Order: sequence, then C-alpha cells, then structure tokens
Amino acid sequence: MYVMNKTAIISAIILIIIIAGVAVYYASKGGGKTTTTSTPSVSATASPTATGATSTPQTSSPASTTAPATTTAAGERNEVCVVYDIGGRGDLSFNDMAYLGASKAAKDFGLKLKEVQSTSESDYLPNLRTLAKSKKCAVIVAVGFLMTDAVKKVADEYPDQLFAIIDGYIPDKPNVLSVLFKEHEGSAIVGALAGMVAHHYKCKAVGVVLGMEIPVLYKFEAGYYWGIRYGEKIYEQHTGEKVQPLRILYTYTGAFNDPARGKTATEAQLANGACIVYNVAGATGLGIFEAVEEAAKKQGRDMGPPFAIGVDSDQDWIKPGFIIASMMKRVDVGVYTAVKRALDYYAGKVTKYGGILELGLAEGGVGMSRLEDLETFLEIGVQAGKIKPEQKQEIYEKVKKMREQIPQWIWDEAYKLQDTLKTNKDLEVYGVKFSDIEKMIPLDSKEIAKLREIFKVG
Amino acid sequence: MAQAERLEVSRTRLPEWLVEGLLRLGESVIALLVGLLVGAIIMYLSGYDAVEAYKSLFGMSLFDSYGLTGTLSFTAPIMLTGITFAVGVRAGLFNIGAEGQLYMGALGAVLVAWLATYKIRLLDSVLGTLFAYTIGVVLALVWAYIAGILKVKRGVHEVVSTIMLNWIAFWIVEYFRVYVVYNPEDPSKTISVPTHARLPLLVPDTELSATIIVSILFSLFVYYLLWYTVTGYELRAAGLNPLAARYAGIKTEKAIMISFLVGGIASGLAGAGEVLGRPPHYAITTGLSNLYGLGFDGITVALIGANHPIGIIFAAILVGALKSGARYMQIYAGVPLEMVRVVEGVIIVALAVPGTLRMLREYLRRRRELAELQKG
Repeated sequence: MYVMNKTAIISAIILIIIIAGVAVYYASKGGGKTTTTSTPSVSATASPTATGATSTPQTSSPASTTAPATTTAAGERNEVCVVYDIGGRGDLSFNDMAYLGASKAAKDFGLKLKEVQSTSESDYLPNLRTLAKSKKCAVIVAVGFLMTDAVKKVADEYPDQLFAIIDGYIPDKPNVLSVLFKEHEGSAIVGALAGMVAHHYKCKAVGVVLGMEIPVLYKFEAGYYWGIRYGEKIYEQHTGEKVQPLRILYTYTGAFNDPARGKTATEAQLANGACIVYNVAGATGLGIFEAVEEAAKKQGRDMGPPFAIGVDSDQDWIKPGFIIASMMKRVDVGVYTAVKRALDYYAGKVTKYGGILELGLAEGGVGMSRLEDLETFLEIGVQAGKIKPEQKQEIYEKVKKMREQIPQWIWDEAYKLQDTLKTNKDLEVYGVKFSDIEKMIPLDSKEIAKLREIFKVG
Repeated sequence: MAQAERLEVSRTRLPEWLVEGLLRLGESVIALLVGLLVGAIIMYLSGYDAVEAYKSLFGMSLFDSYGLTGTLSFTAPIMLTGITFAVGVRAGLFNIGAEGQLYMGALGAVLVAWLATYKIRLLDSVLGTLFAYTIGVVLALVWAYIAGILKVKRGVHEVVSTIMLNWIAFWIVEYFRVYVVYNPEDPSKTISVPTHARLPLLVPDTELSATIIVSILFSLFVYYLLWYTVTGYELRAAGLNPLAARYAGIKTEKAIMISFLVGGIASGLAGAGEVLGRPPHYAITTGLSNLYGLGFDGITVALIGANHPIGIIFAAILVGALKSGARYMQIYAGVPLEMVRVVEGVIIVALAVPGTLRMLREYLRRRRELAELQKG
C-alpha cells in the first residue's frame, strides 16, 4: 500500500514538472497573442445574427458611412465590450436585443465584439474592471439596471474609458451614457390593447408578471395600468356599453432567468380569471407563454384567449397564436446608438459623450409590435436556431389569423393611441394624466403603491 | 516482512503529516490534471482554444495582481463554508446547512447596517463592523443550533433538517429584504452597510477586503481546535467511532453539538463578511443572488481539501480561482460562460473524486465496524 502511494507521489511530481514546462513554454511563446486568438470564435458567434440584424428596421436611422474614420480615431480601442447581468443571453428578449445591437454595431463599424456574462451580482465589478483595464474597449456596455453602482465606481476609476449603461440612471459623469427607455409609453399601448381585448372576450381580469422589483419595472407597471383603464374607456365609448372594471393582477417573481417561476405565477393569475398576462420578466417570461398556451389547449383551443403579451423584442412568434402583441423596447437601438456616439466622440464629431439618452415612442425606442415587425424577428429566430425556416410561413399565418380574430377597430384604436401619445400626453383616465405619470419618474416603491391604489390594482 | 521494515524506516525519515500531506497533494494534482484534460477535450470538440482558455483562466486568476485579488475575494466566503462542512464530517455528520447559516449571517450584518443608518449613528464605525459580525454569527448559530438539537434530541438526520432550514432561512431573509431592511431608493437590494462600518479593502480599487484575513484566521483556529485541544480530540473521536468514543467516556452528543456550532460560526462569519466586505453593494441583493450557492461551494472545497483546515485554505483558493477565472476565459479566450461552467464543473468533479472516495470508504468502514461491534 505504502509503496504504491510512493509511486503516486513520484508520478505526481513528474506531472507537475511537465505542466510547469508546458506552461513556461506557452507563456514565453504566447506573449500578446491573447486577443488575436480570440477573434475567430467571437466573430464566428457574432456573424449569423449580425446578418439578420441588417434587415432590422433601425428607427433611429444610424449613419454607417462614418465607419472607417471613427475606427482609426478610436485607435487601439477596437472592441465593443458587452457585460450582461445575471439574466443573460438566451432570453429571446432584453439581453438578446442588446446582443443584436452590439453585434450590428461591431459589424457596421469594423469592431470586435467581446461579451461577458455575469454569474452573480459579485461579478459586475470585476467584469467591468477587467475590461476597463484591458484598454481595448471603445465602449463598455453594461446591460441592465443592476449594474448601476458598479458602473458608477469603475467609471470614476477609469476616466478615459467610455461606458454605456442600459436602463441605469447615471446623469452626471462625462464618460457614462445612460440609455433609458420610456417603457411607460409602450406599456400604455399594450395595456390599452389588453383592456379592450379582455372586454371583447368578456374576461374579468388581466395580469402582469414581473421580474425583480427594480424601478425600471415600476415604469412598465404604471404605463400598463394607465393603459388598461384607458382601453376600458375607449371600449365603452366605442361600444356604448357600460362595463365592469377589470381586476388587475400583478406578481413579482424576483427573477429574470427562471421560467418555472414565471409559469407558476401565470397559472395563479389565470386561475383568478385573467385572460391576458403581460410578460415583464425577461427569460422568466418564457414560462408565462407556456402557461398561457397550456391553459388554452386545456380548453381545446389552439389559439388564445388566454393571451400573453411579449416584451422587449417582438416575441409574437415564440408561441404563435397565444401572444397577442409585444411591447418592443429597442435595446438594440440603444446599444447601437451608444457605440456610435462613442466613436463619434473619439472622432471629434461630438464634444460631449456622457449624459442621458432617452428613447420613447417618438424616437422609435418603444412601441407595440406590428405584423410587419414579425418577419424581421422570425428571421432572427431562425438564426438563433429556435425555429426552422420552413415554419416561418406557418407562424406568420397563424399570428395573422389570431390578429384577425380581434375586431379591427381595437387594433386601430391601439395604434391610434400610439400615435397620439407621441405628442399629446394630456390624455386622462381615473383622474391621472399620462404626463402625471411621466412627472413621477423615476418612481419609487411608495409612488407605485399610490398608483396601484388609484388604478384599483390587486 | 521486508516491506513492513521499509515502511518503518521511511516513516522515521519523513514525518507522517508531511507524507500524508504530500500524498493528498499528489492525489489532488493528478485529479486536477485529469479534470483539465477532460475539460480541454470538451473545449476542443466544441471548437474553442483550450490552451488559450486555460492560460487566461490560471494566468489571470493566479498570476495577475488584480486577478489574484479577485480570486482571493471569492476565496474568503467559501473557505469558511468549507470549514462548516469539514467540521461536520470530522464529527461524523453530513452538515449541508452552511447555505442557510450564511444567509442568516448576512441578515445579521444587514440588520446592524439598518440600525446604523436609521437608529444608532454610533454604529457607523468599527464598532458597527464588530457588532455586525456578532449578530451575524449569533443568527447563524441559532440556525446551526436548531439542526444540532434536532439531531441530538430527536435523531433527525442532518441532511433533511439542514436542507429545510436552508430554505426557511432563504425566505426569511427575502422577507426581511423586501419588507424590513429594504433600500427605499433601490428595492432590488437591502440597505447598504454605512461607509465607516465596512471592512477595509486590502488593496484599493479591488474587491479584496479584510474578509480573507478573517477566513484564514478562523481556519487556523479550527485546525488548532481539532488537533490541539481536548474538545477537538473528542469531536474527531466521535466522528471516527461513536461507540468507541462513548465507551471511552466521551459525550458524543456534546461533540456533535460543538461541531454544528463551530460550523455555524464559520458560516455566520462568511455571510456577514460578504455583506461587510463586498463592494459596491455592501448589501443583500434580490433573490439573494450575491449569496446563493456560497454554502454549497463549501462542500466542494471541503472535499478537495480533504476536510482538513489547512487543505481547505488551499482548496478554497483553487475553487476561488475557478470562480473568478470564468470572466477571463470569456474575455480573453472568447469561451462563452455556459462552456466555461461545463469545464469548471468537470475540473471540480475530478478534484472531488479522491475526497469523495475517501469519505465513502470511511463511511463504509464505520458502518462495518459499528455493525461488528453491535454484533459482538
């Protein structure tokens, strides 16, 4: 026994020497090879969706003609660096949209794309610091509100590095661009749709399932509730009948990456009579869609009601026939714009980089999905491997059929509201003007509680 | 006969603890190499550059100054939760309650942060740090005590009780995070520890705080406790053979209880340390996402470290390097996180195999001996 152990020791020592040798060999040989080797794999993952992104309608109409000049101006900083929060890629919504924008920007401006996924909240600081230290990033895009504190800190430590934060509010640093969306505007439109459709199907309740309790989500809530009540008002005006106000249900699941929790929460809401559930929960929302589909199929339908409402990207294709529409939040446009602004800043075309960039209905930053959007996102779904090319037509037809099953006037009214809200925010319901909500932003927990009370939510 | 003689000779030449230590080291190195090799094959098959990946993993997390501070900051909590598990094993327990006790430890620290912010300004100082550690440890001890009492008085198996206590702790802390000690400006986390009560950073502009010192000191203390005190001797004896220990006049229930409580202190320190020493939040975040899993990582660490406090110190550094190395593999080698985790999982499994086999062998031996004793 002991002899055998001695051989074990000797072989272990020999092996240590071997690895040490190999390590030394590679260390002396390698040197600055690190980034060159990383190129093929990164661009390999980037290219397929990037091609799909080219067909994405860019509402902010970015001018890609400036590309060659800006790249040289940025000098060594030839990478677009993206840090995802713990939700991460693969949610078919928020994070994937950020990837879409980043990969498109990387392609258009001739930059490399570098992605870092965080495993826990403790990862944000080291991820951002490591990227800033590498001095290779033209801009570091932090995807998600939860990184706000970390970005604030690292931006102070590396004043020469440009940062962008999606959904985070950092107004006063020259090297940080805060990209914000008017989620309340987009949510109001889908809320109005939900209100009208629910009454059309004689439902008693509508719901919303949310992720973590963060201020950004309060904006979704506030807009959605306002929209539902406004939709009810339009419904009454149009049909001339007096309706019983809908019950509004909301659930915070506490996670953006847990479809199982999304499903449980939705099942509970459906059991309470909800027939439309709004997904405000990233990848958790994939469970919402499942629950809605199952509930409909249990009643022998292959199309809603009940319906879900998609979020962030056009999710109508994920469960065709069960997702009535999506509140598109164009994170891709936000990321793309941030990269472009950084390059323009390096090139001296703009003198100031940091500040707030707010994208709403008027800027095409948010909006309700139309049938035309579907094709673009179907293409992305094909490239992500989530749908087969031959299913595209079938999905398109099914979504179209679902839309036709709802009276046209409801759609017209919803899109009309979308146009109206771009300019006129004095629309009022339950004594709350839309502009009142906007004035309260950023909302805190007490204010949202007050709004819930006004709109009789819960 | 000849072999036995040689054994005798070599024993006298090298001290036994050194031979033992080298053996364990050799075992771990071989396991590590196997793990690395399998990981490399997986990466190669998936089309990633394995050499580049490992170079960035170990090169950055161990040999880069900023990377090393990051590694050590991840090392601190899992070293302590590793101790929790190891002390349990030494007393013959499978105590997986580190997770829940860590939550309670963090809650204790946050409660003090809340007090310091709203009630007692005096606590915004070193006093607050000490108080936070104390309350954290007390809460964790309560949690460990419940599991211990259930085991000793009612014979409830510690695996069952600690799993349940873990979940109870999770939801209690979530409740407090949402309704009591929440941050009014940002409900995604609790109130932060005020500036002066935070643990100092050992290196400015990094994440490495004094928690690592606490962890190492406590590990050394446990080493001393186990091998140089009567209590430690009794604890280990109870673990090796409870019947023999009882026959020798050792109160095994007491030994088991002490093992639970020492483990509770370790986890409490880990949880409070994460809150007191982890920038930028110095708080508990939604879904406990900055704490989740640290207790279970301790099991890995203990297995790799052969349930020995000194081994655990090194094992924790290795596991910490793997945890923080994930970002470097992503950034420098372009390996996506999911693949990184597969590879890390493979390495950890390989590392844990010798420890697991040893524990299994030990467990079977104990059962056999007990059965024989009871028969006799």
